Amino acid sequence: MAGGQRVLVVEDEDNIAVALDYLLTREGYDHDRVASGGEAMARIRATRPDLVLLDVMLPEVSGYEICEDVRRDPALAGVKILMMTARGSAMERRKGLALGADGFISKPFELSELRDAVRAALDGARG
Amino acid sequence: MRMNATRSRSGGAGGEMLEKLSLRLRVFLFFAALAVGVAGALILGLWVGYDRAGTPAALPGFVQAGLVAGFAALGLIVWVWYLFDINVARAIDILAGTIRARAHAEVSGGMDTAPARYLGDLAPAAAAVTETLAETRSALVEAVARETTRLSQEKARLEALLSDVPVGVLLCSGRHQLVFYNGHAVDLLAAGHAPGLNRTLFDYLREGPVRHAFARLGEAAAAGEPDLAADLLCATVTGARVLAGRMRLLDRVGDEAAPGYVLTLRDVTADMAAHARREALLDEVFDRLRRGAANVASLVAVQAEGGAAAVSPALADEAATLARAVVELADRHDRGRTEAWPLNPTRASDLFDSLRARIEGAGLTLGVEAPALILRCDGFALVALLGALAERLAGQGAHDFHLRLTDEPGPGALFTLSWEGPALGVGALDRWLDGPLEVGLADMTGRGVLARHGVEMWPGRDAGRPALCLPIREARVAGHRPPPVARAVVYDFELLGKAPAGAVAEAKLRDLTFVVFDTETTGLNPASDEIVQIAAVRLVNGRRIEGEVFDTLVDPGRKIPPASTEVHGITDAMVAGAPDIAEAGRAFHRFAEGAVLVAHNAPFDLAFLHRHAGAIGARFDHPVLDTVLLSAVVFGQHERHTLDALCHRLGIVIPEEARHTAIGDTVATADAFLKLMPMLEGRGMSTFTEVLAEVRRHGRLLRDMN
Repeated sequence: MAGGQRVLVVEDEDNIAVALDYLLTREGYDHDRVASGGEAMARIRATRPDLVLLDVMLPEVSGYEICEDVRRDPALAGVKILMMTARGSAMERRKGLALGADGFISKPFELSELRDAVRAALDGARG
Repeated sequence: MRMNATRSRSGGAGGEMLEKLSLRLRVFLFFAALAVGVAGALILGLWVGYDRAGTPAALPGFVQAGLVAGFAALGLIVWVWYLFDINVARAIDILAGTIRARAHAEVSGGMDTAPARYLGDLAPAAAAVTETLAETRSALVEAVARETTRLSQEKARLEALLSDVPVGVLLCSGRHQLVFYNGHAVDLLAAGHAPGLNRTLFDYLREGPVRHAFARLGEAAAAGEPDLAADLLCATVTGARVLAGRMRLLDRVGDEAAPGYVLTLRDVTADMAAHARREALLDEVFDRLRRGAANVASLVAVQAEGGAAAVSPALADEAATLARAVVELADRHDRGRTEAWPLNPTRASDLFDSLRARIEGAGLTLGVEAPALILRCDGFALVALLGALAERLAGQGAHDFHLRLTDEPGPGALFTLSWEGPALGVGALDRWLDGPLEVGLADMTGRGVLARHGVEMWPGRDAGRPALCLPIREARVAGHRPPPVARAVVYDFELLGKAPAGAVAEAKLRDLTFVVFDTETTGLNPASDEIVQIAAVRLVNGRRIEGEVFDTLVDPGRKIPPASTEVHGITDAMVAGAPDIAEAGRAFHRFAEGAVLVAHNAPFDLAFLHRHAGAIGARFDHPVLDTVLLSAVVFGQHERHTLDALCHRLGIVIPEEARHTAIGDTVATADAFLKLMPMLEGRGMSTFTEVLAEVRRHGRLLRDMN
């Protein structure tokens, strides 16, 4: 169904990573995870995923910074970014979108909500 | 009646009694006695002549001779009395009034000596004396004026300083009477009525906290720590505002029992309300999270023991509820965030000016583009943030800065700071924001400034140049800048050392507070006409307080006759929407609280107010002085006592445009009263009772002189 699209999860919290792992597996995505911002860029450059599920609050390098780096790299132009944050204020959303994120989702989220957001981001990639 | 009262007081001492009578009455009595004496002597002489003649038939002749001689003598006496009264007694009265006006009320200008032309050299001599007095005075006045100019310049500077500080500043005597207040204090205290000098502070603020702080400072001073300040939190009397204050004792002045104090006040009503809302939100956060977490923990425990199927729907429900609660509470917190800080409406142009000054001060250039917007922000913090960022960027090679402000759809606006040079990454920006803005301002970080405004900041691009974006949540289009409001400070430091005036009757005139007022009306009949304007000023400590003025139009609830409009210039259109007599009367009653009322022909104005006492809900039972009667006391009953005539005699000029406006006439009456006061004192009347007793003697005066 998901046509083997590849998703990279950048998330330092193991528990939420478990839930994301479950969902992405169920939806049939090919997925992988890194737990710190420092590793993220290298992995994105190496694997060029279709979608990065990117937490904002990360150790070392923030999600905003990763988002900005991805958007600056022309080689990564096709990579979609869905940002996740536990704070979720309207201003954070605005900042994320201004930096080039394709979507923004606030934690806690329902699985169906996340599934729809992931689909929407990837559909945008196709269209 | 009056004679009886005088006699009983003087205990039958005839000479003393005579001295109390006016000069003209004494002259009249003297001539009356002369007439009686002459008549007696004539009758006695004729009786003796008739007796010696011994011819009873001559009686009609003697009676006729007596009547002719008697009427002739009486006519002569009346004629001489009349000339004496007009040219001597009345002339002396007028001359005395004129001299007193020059001696006590500092009236200047030449004397009119015509009425006293039959008094020989008296009038020219008096004119010479008053002229010398005027010359001496003017020399003294010049010397004083030089010093006064210097002092008043210093005073003006201090007044400007104190009127502009954005906190309420009050100075009170040890008896908590107001001695000084600035314009901001008026805003803070004027819930019910505007503050007035020499009024008690407790007319405006609740008593408890003020007395408590005052007592604490008193104890500290007694223990040898006079420089302490006490912080207090105090509500206004109406409870409409909560004020945070700081009290500091003054040095004791004169022989006052307790020292006065300075009280600075700040409105914390909004802070308190925001604080209360945050507290309530926090309570709700803990309540909803604790319950949810406890439920989840219990359900998970059941699950762990193998009851997964039973508890699974409940667990899902609890988790969803918990998640919803967090999202909703976080949202509310986010909305309430900016309330916690005092954000003031600030003109974008003012903010840009400050920022440009700061950036150009650092040797950089800043182009600006600002629509006429008013932003709700902490201008100082924003300038510090943008200024610090520009300087750091300049350190990395940025130059040619440009700041643009754009109005956004919705209530917000967006700052875009762009530059020529290298771009700034969001990582570097976030790290800068986490550090202190300036050396020495360790607790002011960029992140703190953003949090205060409830916003974020991010890098972007503007017209192809690297930029930083900073939104502002609340902005509105600016109207015309309002003209600066005169925010005078009002004070009289002499009140500090003053003993309380006590009962009005025995108080010295100078120690009393007077409210001088005047009304304009639809006509001259107090029984059927209505008030259309009330104006009043306060006199405290023998001085008219410029800042304490009451002036309102009143809707009479009926047409104003054109003939009345002709006099005072008030039209139906002007009073439309003005308060009615009930509301205006209440406000005036509050303004006049605790004062002696003064008006020119007071019974006329008071009659209107008395008639509406029911609607106003307050009685005007103040002690009253009438300047018509005071003028009669000072200048004698023969003079004209209209306001114009009185002002003319006292050298007071009523500007033509102010004549017959309530406030113009009020100010003129007040100034006349202030000049009459030393003249009354000069004649030995210094207490209210003494003045009233003298006024009652002149009570027969006509009252249709307005």
